[in-house]
Amino acid sequence: MRFKRGGTCMMRVNLFLIAFFTLIIWRFVFAGLRCRPHVRAIAPRQRRPNYLLGGFHISGHDGVRINAASRFEDRPGGLGPLEPKDRAKDYLRRIVALTGATQMGGDYVLDVGTARFYVSYRYVRRLRDAADPKCACEETCFYPVHKGMPKVEEIATALLQLANNPMLFDKWAVKNGLPLKADGQVFTHAQ
Amino acid sequence: MNAKILTFSSHGDTTLLEYDPATADMDEVNKAIAEYEAQTGAQPFDLATGERLEKVTREQDEVLMVHPIAGG
Repeated sequence: MRFKRGGTCMMRVNLFLIAFFTLIIWRFVFAGLRCRPHVRAIAPRQRRPNYLLGGFHISGHDGVRINAASRFEDRPGGLGPLEPKDRAKDYLRRIVALTGATQMGGDYVLDVGTARFYVSYRYVRRLRDAADPKCACEETCFYPVHKGMPKVEEIATALLQLANNPMLFDKWAVKNGLPLKADGQVFTHAQ
Repeated sequence: MNAKILTFSSHGDTTLLEYDPATADMDEVNKAIAEYEAQTGAQPFDLATGERLEKVTREQDEVLMVHPIAGG
């Protein structure tokens, strides 16, 4: 009886030890599996050959990654992924804030020096001197050379360009149909 | 990878280039930007200040390549 009791006791101890070690092994295996993506993410990048993607060309260089397209980028400010349409609105909001513009109905009102621009989709009006009540309102159309851009990004592009170079308005009005870079230079594909 | 060069495109926005500003060769980054400008006419703007950049430095962590606009 004693032997049996001792045997039962030993069996219980053995079972306990087996369960204990199984749990320890399982924990390590599980922890290892969870760590793998992190290790992969921080592993140093391989030196790469020359790139030619999406118009960018960079000779092999560490620490540089080139993307052809990324439709599900992280939200600016690290707030998580957004749909492209929402991100476009987000960029417009940021650029409106950066340029000090304000939304007024369908227009974005931008003051640069004494001039005031009313920017809307593919259409911009200008008061040369916003303080002068007799100042006539001039207007011109605009369109980005890059096709298919969301409307809000076209507006954001115009706001950024006018805030930096208000003289572009005159060039858009005069140089009918000629693509102009942000610095006012005519863009020719032969460049 | 905490700096990027992006542009507005038919997809909304497209990241063209990502790099670590601490270790990346900025001459290579600027060379790539110059090539992209030569092909598309787009010029770099700092998305932190809204200003057009002649040259991208390690200070900028988000640069927008702004495409040309035609008028009329």
